[in-house]
Amino acid sequence: MRLDRWALMGLIQLSWADSNLTERSRDILPSTFKPPQHFRNVNLVRKINLEKSYPRETINVVIENIDAAPQSEYYLPFEQGTLGRVGGLVVKDKKDPDNIGFHAEIVEIDPYGATEYYKITLPTALPSKQQQTLSLTYWTLAALSPVPFQIGQQDKQYIRYPFSAYAPSAYTTLKQKTKLKLPSTDVPDATSLPKELNADGKADPEKQGTSYTYGPYNEVPAGAVQEVSVRYEFTHPLTHGSLLERDISVSHWGNNLATEERHWLTNRAAVLKNHFSRVTYAQSAYYNPPTSALKEMRFPLTVGSVDAYFVDDIGNVSTSRFRSNLREANLELRPRYPLFGGWNYKFQVGWNGDLKNFVRRVKGTGETYVLKAPFFEGPKQIEGVEYERIVTRVILPEGAT
Amino acid sequence: MSASPLLDLWEASASQPFQPTIGKNTQFTVGFVLLFTALVFSGLFGLNNSLKNVAIYGLPASLAFGFGAVYMICAVGVYV
Repeated sequence: MRLDRWALMGLIQLSWADSNLTERSRDILPSTFKPPQHFRNVNLVRKINLEKSYPRETINVVIENIDAAPQSEYYLPFEQGTLGRVGGLVVKDKKDPDNIGFHAEIVEIDPYGATEYYKITLPTALPSKQQQTLSLTYWTLAALSPVPFQIGQQDKQYIRYPFSAYAPSAYTTLKQKTKLKLPSTDVPDATSLPKELNADGKADPEKQGTSYTYGPYNEVPAGAVQEVSVRYEFTHPLTHGSLLERDISVSHWGNNLATEERHWLTNRAAVLKNHFSRVTYAQSAYYNPPTSALKEMRFPLTVGSVDAYFVDDIGNVSTSRFRSNLREANLELRPRYPLFGGWNYKFQVGWNGDLKNFVRRVKGTGETYVLKAPFFEGPKQIEGVEYERIVTRVILPEGAT
Repeated sequence: MSASPLLDLWEASASQPFQPTIGKNTQFTVGFVLLFTALVFSGLFGLNNSLKNVAIYGLPASLAFGFGAVYMICAVGVYV
């Protein structure tokens, strides 16, 4: 009996792991699929924010239903391979933020198709000839690549970001503009486009401090692409978490919520041209120049956290500091070695907290409890951290059903 | 209308945070007392192995050791 139960539990866990990998909610469509042309984009402004180690794009678009019937399905196209790296997608009504209920879903065409789509279902179908303003925001992981790929230990790092000057859209766009927000004014390369393309007759891009503008452009058909790229200085690490495993264990007897995070980090920054020089590194510690190496991390924890630890495969790492008071609890840690481009580091951190901050007894019931704990905490870096895969396990007390 | 019914449940239960009988600060005391009792009782039981003493010393010693061990493990930081 007992063994059966264990086996059952094992099976359940296995099937969870599987469903994570394959994303069952996908609709598979034939490769000839084209989104029905029910909409057109009246005006589109796309903002690409490159200030972090992952690009964030916001598309503010006025859509109009040009079909005779009310329509509610809007398609957002992504190039092959990009869709799997979208870290998050937020859809909002720009004019009415209280209008919630947007539903986004991946539609897969076939594994070799050139374009994949997100299908966005509007909360209420848009009547014919009516307009609505959508705000679509998404993050793409592993989208930035350092050029040149090899740099010296103290060199500046330059990042190349290729994109399309025409915003990706499955619909005809009447008027559009793409704005780039760069981290600095040091931009050695930005593809220029001839002034014939521009609606105002100016050569692109238009520069203003750290922001570059491509457009405005007149009517562009669905799926049109105008390849451009920009190369800019970004001497910060491109921290990439290939896996984050997180355990939250609830202990009723111990009155404790124990959290443990196991991180597998990679720095996607430019790799070192020569060998790592410890002398140069030690010298630079005095004036702390910007570097593409990941040297320290800061974990803002829940207030009231105690007993923090930081260990890796070798054992305890003593270069950490835990500051805790009534207002905040910060775990500041320096990895065992600085992470230069292409270097990996695996470590685990953990801490405890009083259970009364996380678990409450549900009103009106005898033995039912509700748990509220952060899905993931992780380091908070100025330049941002991206995670490829996060596994959060909640371990309930023995006997919980 | 809130986005999630679970969050509503959390807010509604605001006045009832989880509060066990034995708090974190008393775990060591409770664990130590129970373990010590278990030691004394099992010692006394060892002196005279009779059926009557199973009820008087044996059972209380077992119970005290069981619960005492759980609290002592919690007190040293392994929260089970």
